Amino acid sequence: MAGIKDLGVGIGWRSEIDLTVERLPGVDFVEVVAENLHIGHLPESVTLLLERGVPVLPHAVSLSLGGADEVDLHRVEHLGAVAEAVGAPMVSDHVCFVRAGGLDSGHLMPVPRTKDALDVLVANVKLAQRNLPVPLALENVAALLEWPDGELSEGQFLAELVERTDCWLLVDVANLYANARNIGTDPERFLDEIPLERLAYVHVAGGEQHGDIYHDTHAHAVLPEVLDVLDELCSRVAPPGVLLERDDNYPSDTEIASELAAIRAVVDKHRG
Amino acid sequence: MAAPTAATGTRVPPEQIGYLVAGPGRAAETALARLLDAGLVRVSRDGLVSAVHQTELGVSTAVETLILINLRRPARFDAVVRNAAKSTEMRTLHQQLRARRLTRDPRPRLAAWWVFLAIGVVLSLTAFLKPWTLLGAVGFLGAAYWTFGAKPLTRSGRTALKGVTASDRVLAVALEGFRGKVDRQQNVGDLFGLSQSVVKMLPRKRKKPVRRGGGGASDASCGGGCGSSSCGSSGSSCSSGSSSCGGGSSCGGGGGD
Repeated sequence: MAGIKDLGVGIGWRSEIDLTVERLPGVDFVEVVAENLHIGHLPESVTLLLERGVPVLPHAVSLSLGGADEVDLHRVEHLGAVAEAVGAPMVSDHVCFVRAGGLDSGHLMPVPRTKDALDVLVANVKLAQRNLPVPLALENVAALLEWPDGELSEGQFLAELVERTDCWLLVDVANLYANARNIGTDPERFLDEIPLERLAYVHVAGGEQHGDIYHDTHAHAVLPEVLDVLDELCSRVAPPGVLLERDDNYPSDTEIASELAAIRAVVDKHRG
Repeated sequence: MAAPTAATGTRVPPEQIGYLVAGPGRAAETALARLLDAGLVRVSRDGLVSAVHQTELGVSTAVETLILINLRRPARFDAVVRNAAKSTEMRTLHQQLRARRLTRDPRPRLAAWWVFLAIGVVLSLTAFLKPWTLLGAVGFLGAAYWTFGAKPLTRSGRTALKGVTASDRVLAVALEGFRGKVDRQQNVGDLFGLSQSVVKMLPRKRKKPVRRGGGGASDASCGGGCGSSSCGSSGSSCSSGSSSCGGGSSCGGGGGD
């Protein structure tokens, strides 16, 4: 994909840490939550980053492409408008649904991995793609449950999605780790099954164990085990970009810089 | 940073200097400045203050602790200062300063204070001829003294501020406030990387602070910030309009003495 190669190492831009993101060394690109931006009134910090030549990638959380409800084209148009406003080479959302029957889940709900659900997802993705000005990447989510009667593994499901829609993949290694802990998914098998040549970039995030459940909180430090999954991915393919997500309990600038450095070290180890 | 030494021989921390210079609002600003300086909080471009998540807190005062507790959720820059200025912890700080006789209860000056003085002088003079008027003279002179008013800063308080300079950015806030300037050029907010739009969330300083008497060091501290009333609540409470750079505070919120 033109313009998406070699994004480098980035961080999720959040308004609470805007000044931190601006002054952190080694931030090659940032990702913004598209729903939080208003066209015509971009945050000063985002504008500043754009002026510096830092790529800004819109990331959506509300398209609900895995849902049986009709895709809300206003949301798709907004995502496209944000992409144009920041000159992004691509946009992304999740393989999930967040609405059903007029209710909003407030969470990224996993999609049943059945052929029927895949047909619905494919149709929605194609509709979104037709209404977006740039390519779409889709991210694997962290699931606390698996729907019954699944016919495909998560990797097979995503591979077929890519084949039928020509979308890109945004692989979240923290979600892979969470799924391994909570529902027994095998990250290596996942990486074996997905078309890594369609990898757009990678998410890394922190989480915490509560009782028997590992929560992908984006509010705690990145675990070494998550970096191990990144390491496994990098041993197979050089990811165009790797991005640190942090959404709450923001640590000091130094700690954030350390996490970025740790990510870069894993990436560089395989580039050497 | 070398904290200045008060007349009593004890160190005066920046937060207390802020209180002595311009009242509880300034002390609250100073506490926030200290937290920023220590990397315990951060401020976003649009003035949202959030606590930096780390396991070991490096707070040094009760007001700082309060601010961090209140920042479990991010809050606006001005609200952080306002809430700290009005807090119980700030009132405790005020009481500590009073106990150390660095501040006292201020009395407003009556416009007609000189009338009492004049009558007292006249009665004093007539006492040479009619000694019984001496009693009246004492009464009127006493009334003149009382109605002349008193600034909140005591002599000890003024002494504590002598020689205090903006030798670091926390002291710069204590002396000038976030909206002030150091050496009439450098914006104090810039020392913390804060934009003007953020520091202007705080109430504007008084344009013409009433100056009385030689303030020594505290005069110096008025360069840009005295009366900058950051006393919090929407400019309400820099009470005793007397305020003044000369004596420092009159920002009254906490009682303002």
